[in-house]
Amino acid sequence: MIDVAASTPAIRATGLRKTFRATDGSTVVAVDGVDLTIAPGEIVAFLGPNGAGKTTTVDMLLGLTRPDAGTVEVYGTDPGRAVRAGRVSAVMQTGGLLPDFTVEETVRAIAATHGRSDRVAAVIERAALTEIADRRVQACSGGEQQRLKFALALVPDPDLVILDEPTAGMDVATRQHFWDTMRADAAQGRTIVFATHYLAEADEFAERTVLIARGRIVADGPTADVRASFGGRTVSFRPPEDVVRPDGLDPAWLARVEQALAPLGVTGVEVSSASLEAAFLALTGDAPATAEPSPMSLDLTGATR
Amino acid sequence: MSATTTAVPAATRRPRPALATYVGLDLRRQLRDRVGMFFIVALPSFMYVVFGLGSDERVGSGNVAMYVMTSMATYAAVTATTTVAGTATVEQTMGWGRQLALTPLRPLAIVAMKAAVAMTVAAVAVALVFAVGALTGASGSATDWLLSGVIIWIGSAMFAIYGLAICLVFRGPNTPGIASGLIVVMAFLGNLFTPMDGLMLDIGRLTPMYGFAALAHYPQTDGWLPMGDHDPLWLPVANVLAWTVIFATLALWGIRRSRART
Repeated sequence: MIDVAASTPAIRATGLRKTFRATDGSTVVAVDGVDLTIAPGEIVAFLGPNGAGKTTTVDMLLGLTRPDAGTVEVYGTDPGRAVRAGRVSAVMQTGGLLPDFTVEETVRAIAATHGRSDRVAAVIERAALTEIADRRVQACSGGEQQRLKFALALVPDPDLVILDEPTAGMDVATRQHFWDTMRADAAQGRTIVFATHYLAEADEFAERTVLIARGRIVADGPTADVRASFGGRTVSFRPPEDVVRPDGLDPAWLARVEQALAPLGVTGVEVSSASLEAAFLALTGDAPATAEPSPMSLDLTGATR
Repeated sequence: MSATTTAVPAATRRPRPALATYVGLDLRRQLRDRVGMFFIVALPSFMYVVFGLGSDERVGSGNVAMYVMTSMATYAAVTATTTVAGTATVEQTMGWGRQLALTPLRPLAIVAMKAAVAMTVAAVAVALVFAVGALTGASGSATDWLLSGVIIWIGSAMFAIYGLAICLVFRGPNTPGIASGLIVVMAFLGNLFTPMDGLMLDIGRLTPMYGFAALAHYPQTDGWLPMGDHDPLWLPVANVLAWTVIFATLALWGIRRSRART
């Protein structure tokens, strides 16, 4: 019995492919041959820039969108059946709430559809919505609405929760609380898959990171490995104050640094600590060379190239 | 192996959806929408008071007040079902549909629940206008009165299809307003607000609300119109059937088109 449960993956997707027709009539490949197997109890980050195909993939995992090619199984059955059985639920990125329901009414309505009206109090408590239970949804902040959607996802007490950009609109404290809640859930054996473009979230929370870009999986492994194998090591240092100008570092000085470092085999220097970000930028390949230029920091990488 | 091992726990842990609870919540949400309910209930009642109050002349089996009351109840019921159906399509496109797609509900159950809400709001609207009429001098044969109420209530379902069709064909957040606005035009052409004759009546007979309104008045008037014309029963019946088919076709076309986009 336990063997069977362990051998049935929470998600098994093979060769997923989905194309859309753009407004100008051309076809856009949103997801292009995605293979993904996720075991029960895993915490997996689905990381990629906007437009990488995260949401489309999530939609196919939930049975909301039919793949053009490939197969999806959730707990060994088709996604629609798994959803109806209450084994899978999701927090979706866009919309999904009625503005003139109160928070509590929204939870009660969704609980009714699952036949789980007994769960209303528990999930409101869980998502820390008790204090705003009587507030209309339209009066809730983005973060509060996100928490409400999270509460709705918990209603069927699912084995697998798929979260699409779950912390969008949350402030730092709320985000922290949200992830604490998720950690507690994961500790109880719930499988958690979340799509995000916040590198820090994947880095901090996921055991495994699946990096997706342009509809394809470009890296998949333990988060630490993904970071280590692509992020490398970097050395940072502070330039002397007299070479820092409002518009960047003194180019003459930079040239001298380059010259001095070249014999040592140094080809790039990063100010920020080595992170998943390096892997993200290298693999997804659509980030500008200097994302956030600040005079004190690293125009150096660009300058030495 | 997996098919059987997962199916058994899934079946045992799955309680039945509490559809009545959902309908109750949705209905309460609809009824406390003050602006919406003003147009559905208060406005028709007000127009009845303006046009029909104290008119005790005989018309068929009742008086003029009853005739006007029936007209306004018809208008109220049509507004009710159009509004509910229209907002339902907007809710679906706003993402509530995606939320519901992640529940055990089948699409048919979702439509059925919304239909229940629409028909309940329509019943409330008709009951309120009739109550105002009964309290202010509308009088007539009780059976004709009841029969009119039932015809109005059932017939208003046709305008739920209309609301659905309009909102699917013209997409966007303002379409429920467009749908309600067109109703006013159709109500004039449907002989509900001012009595028509001559060319206007001939044109009106072809418009969507005419048949429904004529059927609503039939128990009281047997088809005789305020300006002396007469409708044989087949005319409003044919009108209702034809427009129901047209609205349903439009709605189906709209659904197909919205699916093709994704």
